Amino acid sequence: MALLKKTPLNKAHHELRARMTDFAGWQLPIWYTSILEEHRAVRTGAGMFDVSDMGRVWITGKKAGAFLDRLLTKRASRLEIGSSQFCLLCLEDGGILDDLLAYRVETDCFLIVCNASNMEEKLAWLRRWAGSDPDISIEEKTDDTVMVAVQGPAVCQLQNLKGVCHLPRFGVAKTRIEDVEVLAARTGYTGEDGFEIIGDAANALHIWKSFMKQGVKACGLGARDSLRLEAGMLLYGQDMDRSTNPFEAGLRWVVEMDNGDFIGKSALLDIKHQGVKRKLIGFRMTGRGIARPGYKIISCGQEVGKVTSGGYAPTLNANIGFGYVPTELATIGTCIEIMIRNKPVAATVVNRQFYKRGAQNEPQRI
Amino acid sequence: MNPKEYKYTQEHEWICPKPENKGKVGLADYAQSQLGDIVFLNLPALGTQVEQGKKMGEVESVKAVSDIFAPVSGQVLEVNQTVIDEPGLVNKDPYGAGWLVRLELSKPSELDALMDSEKYDKFVAELTEGESE
Repeated sequence: MALLKKTPLNKAHHELRARMTDFAGWQLPIWYTSILEEHRAVRTGAGMFDVSDMGRVWITGKKAGAFLDRLLTKRASRLEIGSSQFCLLCLEDGGILDDLLAYRVETDCFLIVCNASNMEEKLAWLRRWAGSDPDISIEEKTDDTVMVAVQGPAVCQLQNLKGVCHLPRFGVAKTRIEDVEVLAARTGYTGEDGFEIIGDAANALHIWKSFMKQGVKACGLGARDSLRLEAGMLLYGQDMDRSTNPFEAGLRWVVEMDNGDFIGKSALLDIKHQGVKRKLIGFRMTGRGIARPGYKIISCGQEVGKVTSGGYAPTLNANIGFGYVPTELATIGTCIEIMIRNKPVAATVVNRQFYKRGAQNEPQRI
Repeated sequence: MNPKEYKYTQEHEWICPKPENKGKVGLADYAQSQLGDIVFLNLPALGTQVEQGKKMGEVESVKAVSDIFAPVSGQVLEVNQTVIDEPGLVNKDPYGAGWLVRLELSKPSELDALMDSEKYDKFVAELTEGESE
């Protein structure tokens, strides 16, 4: 069995007596005190996550922008310096190799932050298309850096983030946390305001403790998952993979079909013309039960798909999930059933963005 | 901290064998600490006959799904409706407000097969030791 990789914050997690688990080959905390408390901290105050497992790859050189334009579903060369965008890395057949954030740090310097899973495969893919072009340099710095996501409505009240609170959503800038130089981006995976901070691995504990001192709650993978699920955000490897295309996954909005060429575009044009046979839906349980990944989705007594993500939504005090169903069943309001321990339990197709920050209805306390 | 007067199973259920042959059943502190925040309970209906060691319900935390086994055989006399509506009570007060059902024991001698608190404390201590840091 391969040894689990440890992030530069591993020691800090053990000091906090976190419950650890294996996530995509990394040893990471699943929770410190309680998933529900951690979830609530992010929805009402501020919480932080060690997301150092995510891949961090710098693409530099005169042709860096043009290279990324060819690989990503949204044009990177059009990004302004100091901004970022969410987009996909697609295969020739339109299947999704990953979802990622592409940041333009300088004119010819881009950073992509992608999922921890199948990292080697993605790097090989990038290198294959870059070839030996001297104007494209690909440098993976996942192990040399630390990445901390600080998320929640109170992030701009934190002293050590005052310097970047002017940044717009998706903005990115170099700044200092205390005296440590970092890259801070106004991005996240929780549905809340927040920042993702990247610094040298050597400064990991310093950065982490700086936020600890300000009362930011350490949060684990459990809350990371429940927060993104409520916010309607997909998890690669679960809600999408290379056998899914962006149209099925509801990611049409991150694919620029009318703007230049990129790998997978011609296949996606065909798929778009033909229409998709299945779609990712959001559903809410109306009967008693929690849907979990892998459970069957039933309609008229027949299995029509599988749950890809599911669980308890603390902010909504409801049980929710995602799954793929035939397109004709993907309409909001459609009644379906989820097979839970051999019993069909009723659910309804709803808008996938279950939780929207700043919505009129105050989060329900439980 | 595991109550002295309770009896325990290897699956971390407890039963309070008093009063005479009617006892409340719940999940031990170790079970709730391993599961984390409990968000869902499926308990047997009133009147159900349960059998020692057989599944009688399910408990789900945010991350995990687990079966609940009957510590002894008997009939369900009472179901704790409050804990169904507020499963977090199992985390907050596993030996008190977080009880699950009350059983009328059909074979009181089955209690002898369960661990007393001293034995159970040791059993849990060994499990905790085995946990990797």
